[in-house]
Amino acid sequence: MTFEQASPLVALLLTLVLAPLVPGVATRTRAFLTGRRGSPVWQLYSDLWKLSRRGIVYARVTTTPFRLVPIVALAAAVVAALLVPLDGRTSVFAFAGDVVAFAYTLALARFVLVLGALDTGSSFEGMGASREVTFATLVEFALFLGLAALSVATRQLSLSGVAGEPLADRWMTAAPALVMVAAGLFVLLLAECSRSPVDDPTTHLELTMIHEVMILDHSGPDLGVILYASAVKLSVLSALLARVAWPVAHLEPAARLGTLAASLVLVGVLVGVVEASMARLKLPKVPLYIAGGAALSGLGLVLLLR
Amino acid sequence: MTPLWIGLGLFVLAAAAQVALRGRRAADSVFSILVLAGSALGIATAAGVLRAGVTLSTTIPSALPGGDWVIGVDSLSAVFLVVILGVGSLSAVYGIGYMRYDDETVAWPSHAFFALEVAALALVVCARSVVPFMGAWELMAIGSLLLILTEYRHAEARRAGFIYIVATHVGTLALFALFATLARGSGDWTFDALARGAELSGGALVAVLVLALVGFGVKAGLVPLHFWLPPAHAAAPSHVSALMSGVVIKIGIYGLLRVLWLIGTPPFWWGWTVLTIGALSAILGVLWALAQHDIKRLLAYHSVENIGIILMGIGLAGVASAHGRPVLAAIGYGAALLHTLNHALFKSLLFLCAGAVYRETGTRDLERLGGLARRMPVVWLLFAVGAAAIVGLPPLNGFVSEWLLYRGLLEAGQSAEAMRLAVLGVPALALVGGLALACFAKVAGVVFLGTARSSPAVEAREPNAWLRGPAIVIAVACAVIGVAPPLVIPIALRTAGYVESVALDVDAAAGVTHSAWQVARFALVLLFATGVAALVMRWLRARVVRRELDTWACAYTAVTPRMQYTASSFAAPLLDVFGAASGIRTHRGATVFHSEPFDLVLDRAVAPAWAMVQRVAVRLRGLQQGRLRTYLVYVVVTLTMLLAYLVVRGGTR
Repeated sequence: MTFEQASPLVALLLTLVLAPLVPGVATRTRAFLTGRRGSPVWQLYSDLWKLSRRGIVYARVTTTPFRLVPIVALAAAVVAALLVPLDGRTSVFAFAGDVVAFAYTLALARFVLVLGALDTGSSFEGMGASREVTFATLVEFALFLGLAALSVATRQLSLSGVAGEPLADRWMTAAPALVMVAAGLFVLLLAECSRSPVDDPTTHLELTMIHEVMILDHSGPDLGVILYASAVKLSVLSALLARVAWPVAHLEPAARLGTLAASLVLVGVLVGVVEASMARLKLPKVPLYIAGGAALSGLGLVLLLR
Repeated sequence: MTPLWIGLGLFVLAAAAQVALRGRRAADSVFSILVLAGSALGIATAAGVLRAGVTLSTTIPSALPGGDWVIGVDSLSAVFLVVILGVGSLSAVYGIGYMRYDDETVAWPSHAFFALEVAALALVVCARSVVPFMGAWELMAIGSLLLILTEYRHAEARRAGFIYIVATHVGTLALFALFATLARGSGDWTFDALARGAELSGGALVAVLVLALVGFGVKAGLVPLHFWLPPAHAAAPSHVSALMSGVVIKIGIYGLLRVLWLIGTPPFWWGWTVLTIGALSAILGVLWALAQHDIKRLLAYHSVENIGIILMGIGLAGVASAHGRPVLAAIGYGAALLHTLNHALFKSLLFLCAGAVYRETGTRDLERLGGLARRMPVVWLLFAVGAAAIVGLPPLNGFVSEWLLYRGLLEAGQSAEAMRLAVLGVPALALVGGLALACFAKVAGVVFLGTARSSPAVEAREPNAWLRGPAIVIAVACAVIGVAPPLVIPIALRTAGYVESVALDVDAAAGVTHSAWQVARFALVLLFATGVAALVMRWLRARVVRRELDTWACAYTAVTPRMQYTASSFAAPLLDVFGAASGIRTHRGATVFHSEPFDLVLDRAVAPAWAMVQRVAVRLRGLQQGRLRTYLVYVVVTLTMLLAYLVVRGGTR
């Protein structure tokens, strides 16, 4: 096996290892920009280590879905990572129409997460679940607008094509549309990964949370795995966004892997900048925010269909 | 053909057994065996037709107008036969156990009607000339009415039956006009003759396509012709709802495909129309479903949604074949056919589970349920499979057909012609998927998870084996198609080619079949990853102390089930986004939040129009006095007018 052939696998491993760094970078950037020192960038690694040794408390009312949440979240995050061309050229597993498989794998994890929240019978978690499905519905609509635009631009049905080699040529001919699609994807990334301005991962005031409130009753290794899985999801979406905005398929494998690491850090910084520069939106405004992301992708699609 | 005839005979025999044994214990086993054997024979015939790609037919000479009666099975009929007989027989068996919960209603007539209805449905898709088709169509319509009226003591059932029978006959009227236009005065009304003579153009073609969309659209339940569907599904017993939703409405889809088979390539405007109506039906159907609190009514609106998804497939196929792209058209028709099968499976599964919940708790109101996962774990598992399948989540069957449709729409987006606009169906389908996920998170969460919201929900137990067995078989079918799409996708594509009347380019279609294998691999990868993750979690959990405590409630100690999120409050933010289109009235108070759904078409358009018709009709009542003298005057007046007409026209011909 040559390095070229192995590079998707190496990229996958790199992503799985570096994933907890991305939220750390975001938090550190935010702290730096707001004039504080903040926690170290590897904070999540030590949190995960700590949680792996803590005891677990299960709520008495809960059944299987609650215990399935970490399992499915982890599996779905890894399978989503298999489908994205993390190394900048091809994914570990690609097929015509894997765009759909990618989105629906994330939906599977969300379905189980929401059921796990409702499993506790807690009104806090019911509230979080309700918000999650509301915003996720709109995000899914907007995400598919963006994916459709990329598919139209590159005439590909697979993520490896959509965000891989053919895209670089299209940047020469259809840059304005692709800028809009990339911007739309960034807007959605913030919503999908529960970052500001949609959700605020640092607050624990229950009325203001979406993702955090749904995992309120999880503890110990269960909580750790859920946090790790959402870090992987953030990294995978960051890598996808980076490959759309910055196609690197023509580079050498080693250079491409370097750009992967750089992309993860860059998106982390970008997320931190957004968090430092604007407050979380009022919940009723969130649909408008997502609609803005959808409008960007939609305009891109219209330009490409012209 | 012979096994199919024997099979249909067994269904009639099963009905006869119910009548002869009238409620004796033996009747139930005899009935079940006959129905299952009958459907096995019929499915064997259909499988033979699908494997060999042949058309079987029998001609019954007839001297009546309309020519000979031809009954036969081709690939298109065979696909629907599998759906009808498979879901029909399993629902019939379930019905036995379901009706035992009810001491008031006499069950045997309902079982007999059920078997006859399944036979009538099979006859509709096997008819290959107009007269037997319309005859079977009416048998099916009346059979459905009798089944909806099983619990006729309830005013709800009577009202639903009335709305249904009016709606279905509006459709039948359109079908008479449709076939009259197609036949254009020729005496031979066999489908083969109509297909040969069907070089329609201009007005006649427009009329045929619009009439087909109305006539079959009423049966299929596309928006805005869906209004009969939710009341009928809610009022009927659950196995009847399963049959209606899984099978009967699909006959509308069959009709549309049959008309397309007759006329060949439709004009491009028709494809766009169907694609648009499909997307609208899908979005509005699932949005309205989200607003419902009656579990069966909610599932009924999801049928509107799924019919919309199927129509999107047909619309895409129409557009593609108008642009001379047979392989893409095959993907569209194939996705429609496959989703027809898949929806029949997971929707009947969901209705069977909903029926078990209703029988065990006595309520269909979501707001009074909760915590059933602990009391009926098997039903919960089956419902979860159905819910994940209908949402389109991998690795279940709903994902396979939605993937095929997505793929077709994306491929259309890559063409250079106007067809590329079909790619706009992709975000529409994504919106539908998101809303469906929200809706089934609501149902599953509120009914099965959390704690019970009323005392009946506390007393529920696992239902008897009659109710579990058929549902388990259907759930297994959902899973098998989900992990092994190559079992069904080639058949769907071949049948699609048959509908288009083109022999598909083998190499081009092979690309689709190849990626079907990839979907199978994806499903296995997902299952494998989940298995590994489960092992990892098991290892992590085994290393630490585990305890069970109450749910965290912010240190509040007097928690009651009423504090849980309700179905109304769960759906409210998402419904708010869609404003007036979501069709709810909300009640807000200091301690209460409750939303009440209404049907925008039935309650805002059809019912007011119907009331107006009634007001006019009441004025005409003066004509009917019940006195013989008055009627004699009418007869004389009519005769005089006819004579006067003859005189004016100038005597005899």
